[in-house]
Amino acid sequence: MLVRERRAVLVACLLTGITIAATVTSCGSGPTGTESPVLHIGAIPDQNPEKLNRLYSSLSDELSDQLTVPVQYVPVSNYPAAVSAFRTGSLDLVWFGGLTGVQARLQTPGAKVLAQRDIDAKFTSVFIANGASGLRPISNGDQLTNLKGRRLSFGSESSTSGRLMPQYFMSQNGVETADLAGGAPGFSGSHDATIAVVQSGAYEVGALNEQVWRSNVKDGRVDPNKVSVIWRTPTYVDYHWVARPDLDERFGNGFTKKVQSALLKISPTTPRGETILELFGAAQFIPAQNSDYDKIEAVGRQLGKIR
Amino acid sequence: MAVQTFLKPALPLLTLLPGLCLIPVVAILVRDGHGGGLPLLIQFAQGALQPSFDPNLLKNLWQGLQITLVIAILSWGISSGLGVILGFLGSRTLWRTVLGSAWPALLFRRLLSPFRAIHELIWGLLLLQIYGLNGWVAIAAIVIPYSALMARVIADQIDCHESPALPVLQATGGPAIAVLMTAVIPAVSSAIKNHIGHRLDCALRSALILGVFGLGGLGTDLMLSLQSLQFHDMWSGLWLLAIAMVVLDQILGSLQRKQRIGVVISVVLMLALVGSATLNLDLSWPSGTLGSVLDVLGDDHNAAAALFELNWVAVIGSTLLITLMASCIATAVPPLLLLLWPSPGSLRLQSLIWGALRLLPTPLSALLLLVMAKPSLPLAALALGLHHSGVMGRVLIKDIRETGFGSAQTLERGGATVRMSWLYGPLAEVSRSYLAYASYRCDVILRDTVVVGIVGSAGLGWQLIDALSSFHWWLVAWLVVAFIGLTLLGETITERWQQRLNCKAVVL
Repeated sequence: MLVRERRAVLVACLLTGITIAATVTSCGSGPTGTESPVLHIGAIPDQNPEKLNRLYSSLSDELSDQLTVPVQYVPVSNYPAAVSAFRTGSLDLVWFGGLTGVQARLQTPGAKVLAQRDIDAKFTSVFIANGASGLRPISNGDQLTNLKGRRLSFGSESSTSGRLMPQYFMSQNGVETADLAGGAPGFSGSHDATIAVVQSGAYEVGALNEQVWRSNVKDGRVDPNKVSVIWRTPTYVDYHWVARPDLDERFGNGFTKKVQSALLKISPTTPRGETILELFGAAQFIPAQNSDYDKIEAVGRQLGKIR
Repeated sequence: MAVQTFLKPALPLLTLLPGLCLIPVVAILVRDGHGGGLPLLIQFAQGALQPSFDPNLLKNLWQGLQITLVIAILSWGISSGLGVILGFLGSRTLWRTVLGSAWPALLFRRLLSPFRAIHELIWGLLLLQIYGLNGWVAIAAIVIPYSALMARVIADQIDCHESPALPVLQATGGPAIAVLMTAVIPAVSSAIKNHIGHRLDCALRSALILGVFGLGGLGTDLMLSLQSLQFHDMWSGLWLLAIAMVVLDQILGSLQRKQRIGVVISVVLMLALVGSATLNLDLSWPSGTLGSVLDVLGDDHNAAAALFELNWVAVIGSTLLITLMASCIATAVPPLLLLLWPSPGSLRLQSLIWGALRLLPTPLSALLLLVMAKPSLPLAALALGLHHSGVMGRVLIKDIRETGFGSAQTLERGGATVRMSWLYGPLAEVSRSYLAYASYRCDVILRDTVVVGIVGSAGLGWQLIDALSSFHWWLVAWLVVAFIGLTLLGETITERWQQRLNCKAVVL
């Protein structure tokens, strides 16, 4: 009995220890809904967490300094979850992809596109192929018919550059997903994973964001003997910042405008600005409006990703 | 008795029989193998040896782990309580004692099955639509299917442990409740305690998977590392998770030897709540309206259009095929390994293997398998099956440790070979409960087909994820209905199977 009791005390001590350690080490800001409203920012998952953490702690600080309100970053690892969180008000300002941004605005009437990166106005995807597949670079979209009967992988199911636009250009040129080997494409889950599954030979062709492809090539993470670009898509608009309609109401008149100018003001001349822009892979943020994404909405409706 | 045993197939062999499924699966994988992903596998292995120690990352992972633990412990505690209550309500023994008829039990069971037919991930994504990113969404997403599942397991345990004292006590004319308390509870308490303990491990993995799909915690960090193939970062998270799993297991082990388990559990729950106050986890009471979701549903004619969008036969067929193959793999692999390595000493190593298989989230093992072979249904099944064999292996080893190795030693002394004595000794002793547990696993695997979309986007689960990402609510509704239908069907079959199993077990 004595041994038993001693063990119970030990367990209780251990648990208390864990809890105290947890309380001391966690530095997150307190629960939401306290006196001053907190601006919750988020992003669709597109980069590794180590990078996201650095990116968003710098960005939160920058926005917090410029707007003089507390800013909190909420990590979300799933595209539709980010859209829903934006609709329900769990996130106030979100870095969306083309498609998810349109989905979010359609579900949140009054939401406003604030800004995009300089590169987003003319964004492209690339189709890459495994060397062993025998697929050669093509000069024109109509040669996409070569992809019929091949194993093809997209990235995430909601990705604009890793699924929507590549599928749109395929469909424009008479290649439907049912024409692919197995009657359906694979979904690797991310741009980096698309490179991995095509490079390994599991899939013969893949489609992904050209910016991610370039940075992988630059970092030496692509084996040029095994995988290469066969086609670059025409340009389209992609990633952008979207704000909830009720920001002015909650933070004071003109707040949405202030957020927009804070984003546009981030410049590579300050060390923090330089970090942020480098991590976003951009030279600067430029203004954008809802109508810029009308084409994406039309494509989304055509392919059934917008209902 | 001897004649009867001779006529029926030996129970321990039934645990190995599904292993036959491995032959075609392995054959297809060998045919489709390409080995092109070897460099990636090497990177993955290197990541295990050299996890990242970046302080920023570690701080983040630690916070993520706390969130996952809080979600896991709270949802486990709540679902255990609810599960026990609902389990008693679903037991035939209880209603027969109280009312003299068992029909309310059947009603309760059938009413609960839709709740467990939907994967916690889908509950999470559905509740998220209404309540937004809130800690309670993740907790409720686990509590709903877990309570319903535990209710089923507990009801089954009560019914199959029917005490011979029950009719005697009833005949004395005591009140029904008192009769039940005296006759039933002591008989099933250890089985219930074991099951509740086991569910904590499951809750931890569910909380992780919810994170993988965007509801916060360590899963979110792991998924982000996986998406960008940062294996060094990912392994920091996986090691942290492994440590957490071992520590929880140890704590649980010592708790189960205690009498005052309830008191300690409530202390844990309170501590978990206190600890979560400073986390980046919103545990304020959620508010939301169903209206916003109902608005989206829109016209009725969309409902019919959505129904005809899918080739249901093909989709359901591939889902069932994956489920069947994965269940066979998950059931057969642990006993096969046990017989390959039949010694008390190797059990520790085997539990390490099962721990490792449970540790790797299914999307990760699917990716690792995929870079070595072309996408196919057997590949998806193998990824799922291996993960769940980790769970089955844990159950098997735990059962064997509890029953002891006495029977194997006796048979060995009688001149049987080591393998034979393990087959007809310890394995035979635990195979009834093992097979019964395997039949629950089939349900879980059916729901888990949600997470293997990467492999050729096959099955109902993948369609559900795609429909959710298009916010195509009518299709989501139809798919959920299909899942419920399949689960009900599966339950009817496994219930029959379990009843037969119990009869056989009496013979053994």
